[in-house]
Amino acid sequence: MSKETMSRRDALKMGALGTVGMAMLSASNAMAAAPTEKDVKFDEEYDVIVIGTGFAGLAAAAKAAERGYKVLILEKMGRVGGNSVINGGGMAVPNSSWQKKYGIQDSGELFIADCLKAGLGINHVELLETIVKRAQDALDFSIKCGAKWQDVKPAWFGGHSAPRSLVTDNMSGSGVIKPMHEFVEKLPGCKIMTRTKMDDFVMSSDGTSVVGVTARINYRFDPKLLSDDMENKTGEKKVYKAKKGVVLASGGFSMDKIYRKLQDPRLVEDMDATNHDGATAGALLKAFQIGAFPVHIDWIQQGPWASPDERGFGVAPLLTQQGLFKLGVAVDVRNGKRFMNEMADRKTRADAEYVILREAPKAYPVAIGTYNTFEEQVYPIMEKGLSGGVMKKFDTLDALAANYKIPADALKETIKKYNEDAKNGTEDQFKKQSLKDVKGKEAIEMKGPFYAIRLVPKPHHTMGGLQINTKAQVISANTNKPIPGLYAAGEVTGGTHGASRLGTVAVTDCLTFGMIAGENI
Amino acid sequence: MRSKKTLLAVGFFLLFSVMSLVGSEANTPPTPEVKITPELKEKFPMKPHHEKLAFKCTDCHEGQGDDPENFKAIDDKGCLSCHKTKQFLADRLKFMDALHTNPHNSIHDGTKLYCDECHFEHKKSDNMCLSCHSNDVKLWMRPTP
Repeated sequence: MSKETMSRRDALKMGALGTVGMAMLSASNAMAAAPTEKDVKFDEEYDVIVIGTGFAGLAAAAKAAERGYKVLILEKMGRVGGNSVINGGGMAVPNSSWQKKYGIQDSGELFIADCLKAGLGINHVELLETIVKRAQDALDFSIKCGAKWQDVKPAWFGGHSAPRSLVTDNMSGSGVIKPMHEFVEKLPGCKIMTRTKMDDFVMSSDGTSVVGVTARINYRFDPKLLSDDMENKTGEKKVYKAKKGVVLASGGFSMDKIYRKLQDPRLVEDMDATNHDGATAGALLKAFQIGAFPVHIDWIQQGPWASPDERGFGVAPLLTQQGLFKLGVAVDVRNGKRFMNEMADRKTRADAEYVILREAPKAYPVAIGTYNTFEEQVYPIMEKGLSGGVMKKFDTLDALAANYKIPADALKETIKKYNEDAKNGTEDQFKKQSLKDVKGKEAIEMKGPFYAIRLVPKPHHTMGGLQINTKAQVISANTNKPIPGLYAAGEVTGGTHGASRLGTVAVTDCLTFGMIAGENI
Repeated sequence: MRSKKTLLAVGFFLLFSVMSLVGSEANTPPTPEVKITPELKEKFPMKPHHEKLAFKCTDCHEGQGDDPENFKAIDDKGCLSCHKTKQFLADRLKFMDALHTNPHNSIHDGTKLYCDECHFEHKKSDNMCLSCHSNDVKLWMRPTP
């Protein structure tokens, strides 16, 4: 008996069976299998239902709608776009029309090699190959929907072997989401419902295919709950039929206090992330419940460039990456010593910070630099960092040491040695590549003033998720074949980025596979 | 929903009309009345700018019966019955566009946010910008009314 159809009378009958019956009942409730079409009455009928309104969801919806399908898009939050409207709007496109225009050499092989290097070789290469083949199409499709990208030379992001990242005209992912949202809503029969949460897939009577979803309208997400997915009872139930299928584009789970901690116990419940509050695992787990294959779930990328002195992404990531890390140092406040290569990959640096934070949970390491260590592009943000209090400025190293309770003599010794290595062109203890640029000069200018930011890793992107094939079909763990009627795209999928994603490849992944899902459904 | 300003005007008019109708049966449709007790005021406090307009519960919670415990949050349509349109509210803060800090027309959401992502009548409002710009908001704007 399914949970959907059990009446109060049925429950009483079951109770009459005694404790054995009750034990069986609670077992079936705990399993909470997805309802089948026989268990439900559909309130409305669409061709395609998309879960989520980020890059992947809207690309899928726009493509399916353009093909003439009636599309319903469900978004549990009040705001459209999730993480896609709070990021910097950078999209890496290998072999792009932009690169051709600005005379930049690039190749698909080079892009895949870069992704594999950062991903520790465990990336699913066929998905990267699909991105190489279709990223330009995804870029063109975003432009067709109204997105505007800066007509300048593509930016060169960390870990990429060529400048290949385009940035939206308003330097936010909203530069894609806003026009795509309008594009979809203008097409006949299509609508976006916000504050509407998908609860379950509805399966065909034989349980093999996805034929719709159950959802709650007037849903109010509550960030104060430990698990909104499990505890939130708001909203009124609706059942929607999807004649062609469902596209799951529900994003990652960097803000899921329970599930992220299961994967990485260092991610304690009250820990901040760079993500929006709604980035939870609920919909992903529903896909597992109907048999989808999990891939790389415990690879959670953490930004080692974030600060505990502000919420979310904030300004610290820009000021550390483009200001303090390249030529400055990061020190352990307990002994004034360096503890990592400040220019290593994200995972290496986050792990190094955790070694300290595990021993002393409040001993946030401090990144230190001087005016010369900042790149020109971040000059305007320096004032923002100082006025907001994330970054602090000191006239002397003694004052800096006193503020963070760092042993002053040890700190001075660390910076003296570091500067000597840089000046002499000898390799420093962590083999930092970027020091080669300052041979013959001080890396940190001892005349000051000195700038400092406290560091903490923040969960940023969940690499793992559902296994999809190159057509964005979700693969079943029962058959190793696609689950009929179920597609997925974006951060809810796994494998593409391997152990660690390169910057600005998420937007590419989401728009490309979202578009592919919309083409194939 | 009728405009509250109109309601106030109508209220005064009715007050005088009722005086002249003393002794005769007033023939108005029965709108549920909620007696505003000190306890009710404590449980559902109102924002000062709304309180001084002497609103009754049912001015906003129109057609929701007479039991405050069962009242539902009013949606954007309710707020905008007085506050016109989201575009109007965005234009009123147009001077903030120069620094991209207009909360009613942000880079992220334009004019599309629900009013009650940030503004709450019976509890403290919560500025959504704070979820990412925790240190900047105090430099950008005053506390959310």
